[in-house]
Amino acid sequence: MKKLKGVVILAILAMVAAACGADEPADTSAPAETSAPAETTAPPETTETTAPSDTSAPSGDLASVSAESCDYGGKIQSIEATGTHEVVFTLCSPDPAFLAKLAFVPFAIQPAEHLEATGGSPLDNPIGTGPFMLDAWERGSEIVMSANPDYWGGPPPFETLVFRWAAESTSRILELQSGNAHYITNLAASDYETIQNDENLVLLEDPNPNIFYIGMTNTFEPFNDVRVRQAVAMGIDRQRIVDNFYPLGSEVADFFTPCSIPNGCEGEPWYEFDPEAARALLAEAGYPDGFDTRITYRDVFRVYLPEPGAVATEIATQLRENLGINATVEEVESGAFIEQTSIGAMDGIHLLGWGADYPHVTNFLDTHFRGPQFGDTIPELVELLDQGAATVDEAEAAPIYEQANNLLREHVPVVPVAHGAAADAALATVEGAQVPPFGAPQFHTMTPDGDTLVFVQNAEPISLFCADETDGESLSACEQVLEGLYDYDLEGNPVPALAESCDPNEDGTVWTCAIRQGVKFHDGSDLDANDVVTSFAVGIDAAHPLHVGNTGGFEYFAYLWGALMNAEDAGGEG
Amino acid sequence: MLGYIARRTLVAIPVLAGVLLVVFLLVRLLPGEPCTAMLGERATPEACERFNRANGLDQPLPVQLGIYAQRIVSGDFGESIRFSRPVSTILLERLPVTAELAISALAVAVIIGIPLGIVAARRHNTVVDVGAMAVANVGVSMPVFWLGLLLAYFGAIVLGNTPFALPASGRLPAGMRPDPFWEVWGLDLGESGFVYSMAFFISKMQIVNALISAQWEELWAAIKHLILPTLALATIPMSIIARMTRSSLLDVLQRDYIRTARAKGAGDRLVVRRHALRNALLPVVTVIGLQLGGLLGGAVLTETVFGLAGVGTALYESISTRDFPIVQAFTVVIAATYVVINLIVDISYGYLDPRVRLK
Repeated sequence: MKKLKGVVILAILAMVAAACGADEPADTSAPAETSAPAETTAPPETTETTAPSDTSAPSGDLASVSAESCDYGGKIQSIEATGTHEVVFTLCSPDPAFLAKLAFVPFAIQPAEHLEATGGSPLDNPIGTGPFMLDAWERGSEIVMSANPDYWGGPPPFETLVFRWAAESTSRILELQSGNAHYITNLAASDYETIQNDENLVLLEDPNPNIFYIGMTNTFEPFNDVRVRQAVAMGIDRQRIVDNFYPLGSEVADFFTPCSIPNGCEGEPWYEFDPEAARALLAEAGYPDGFDTRITYRDVFRVYLPEPGAVATEIATQLRENLGINATVEEVESGAFIEQTSIGAMDGIHLLGWGADYPHVTNFLDTHFRGPQFGDTIPELVELLDQGAATVDEAEAAPIYEQANNLLREHVPVVPVAHGAAADAALATVEGAQVPPFGAPQFHTMTPDGDTLVFVQNAEPISLFCADETDGESLSACEQVLEGLYDYDLEGNPVPALAESCDPNEDGTVWTCAIRQGVKFHDGSDLDANDVVTSFAVGIDAAHPLHVGNTGGFEYFAYLWGALMNAEDAGGEG
Repeated sequence: MLGYIARRTLVAIPVLAGVLLVVFLLVRLLPGEPCTAMLGERATPEACERFNRANGLDQPLPVQLGIYAQRIVSGDFGESIRFSRPVSTILLERLPVTAELAISALAVAVIIGIPLGIVAARRHNTVVDVGAMAVANVGVSMPVFWLGLLLAYFGAIVLGNTPFALPASGRLPAGMRPDPFWEVWGLDLGESGFVYSMAFFISKMQIVNALISAQWEELWAAIKHLILPTLALATIPMSIIARMTRSSLLDVLQRDYIRTARAKGAGDRLVVRRHALRNALLPVVTVIGLQLGGLLGGAVLTETVFGLAGVGTALYESISTRDFPIVQAFTVVIAATYVVINLIVDISYGYLDPRVRLK
């Protein structure tokens, strides 16, 4: 029998060994020193413009990255270090949201040497300048950070910040109620009451601006008739939807862009619910008895649409009762849904929404109404958006967006329905607990009742190299460790961080940033302009040898700055 | 015996190949692309094209399958699409958590389930029997997810201000990082190689690691964190084992040789222990083997409720994000575990009943 036991043990060990091979488990220890450079693919040929290797020039040389011209479709033509603490961004056209975008954590700065040492892929060992330093990432379980005593903004009021995760909202609440967590995120709407009824906890409203809208593609009948679209706009009782399917704090949308965004609410508010006027418009358009159509949606929870299926059914019911429109409700797989809607191929009515990436009206209007999502674009609107996008001064841009909003109301490519509310929760003993409108909770501004603050979010970060991540969980963790030239304050305004200031030239196409002096990275090295240029170059220059990351997509660089430079030269490696 | 094990191992190869093939095709039939999951909803078609090319997803399916099969034969599970890390490394981190949970749950299920079944059989048609089987029926009917939340609430909130409070999630308290046992022992195993990997695997079983390295505070914390998930996961198999033990024992107790033993004056306890139980356990062992396989499936829900970073949560997340290499590798390892468990069950028949000869 002993022999048998031995054989069994050997069999199990062999199976595990076969499964696991001799691969090296992750090093979860903190990056006290940078590791040896990772083996990367051979660098692609350099572009005709400034060679990417310039950005990794030895100390004393000034780095730069540039595109040959602006024909590549992006917003940035070049980024140059013009002094040890000065960086100049030259844009292809004015961008009034420049500072708001700079504050987004994917554009955080790491030491050029560290990026080189990790082969452009510091996935689990970020070195930043932020209020917390990474101590350890216990894969699957938690990320432990310690306070940065030399933080330029002053050391955090507690020693240790622990990031944990639990997929279930109920599990997160139990952790909070039992005192094992100090702060949890993404409450389910049904849990608001639980938090409010517990005197040991506080509900923290999340003011992140968002919009849920009903989209109609004007290249399909009968939505090619503006009267039909206006009828839908007037024939839906949006208040009823908000009352029945949205958590406390949500509100009916009077404009497409939420009012917390500057210039979002210029112009006339949306139509009142008026089924009689709506039926009259339908009759005028030749549909006195309504028509057959479909409502498509994806079954994905978002703050702007917490119950997609139920809301779709409610809208179908209202269309039938108020306008005689017979709409079938169809769920479409999320990827296919986004693909179809983004190219304007979705017939009928589609339900979608948007959460703000950065606090500027262009993030709502330009993103939606310049492209084909709702069929043919509205030329006057696109013209106004062009004007708005070239106007840096907010007050000057206000009348432009007033006209733009009025045009949206007149042409009704969408019916803005609701701004959904979301909330986090914290122990009542945590002083200063607050959810900023943009970015992650700023834990260094909070004070727990001990030396440790435990934060529980939905899921584990994918990596801590947020230049190449899009998930909120990664970005939340990155924001504690890394900083960009600008940051968002607790009201959501972009404020200087690693830059002391960034000032535009007269037409807003050249921004000169003075880099904060005396700032040290967590590895003790000094921040300088080359670190800024290299951090940007790694993300935005697809031909850069360090343009590696996690997926290689660097999606936020491509999305917020229009496109990646030199992408063709990357030979598909970008 | 060795010949039997060798033959069974050979038979397992086509089974695992079949599992691999089915999983490989099924995950690709799911709607949704890894690109959208990874690059976000705003990824352009060009970005997706580059992403697919970089991950070999632009190749025809047979080519992808061929490349994967070639790799897996050499023990290479590839790299996770999401994490850009070797799947085998992730497996080494995750498998110990699930193994510890499944083993503890099975131990609880057996330790409680078999005696419960024996008591019910010996007190057949009494209040004890009815009560025990009522408990078993409730247990088998209780959804793991719901039971898990209930237990978490009870342990963390109801017992919250008592010395008996139990943590509702995680494997260890926040910030607690036990030293690996080999460091406590003063061994230098390097940071790679087979020995290091095996030691790493063992060190990730927190109870084992703390026990063999005498880290008592960590041991107590690890045990406390495992109690609620273990109870949640053990309830269903415990109920099934109890019912199977009862019915099997009742059947055996009515056999002629039991009557003979009783006629010869053997006491009830002796009859059950020496004559009846061993025979009655044959089908129970089969059920236990099957339940261990089921525990791996049940671990998905249990791990999700209790925030444990095991194979189950990794598999769940990877299916959601279309991380094909993880889904494929983890499924094959679960299937292989199932095959090995079945083999062990078959071998154990010979021990329990000498009349069974393995050929």
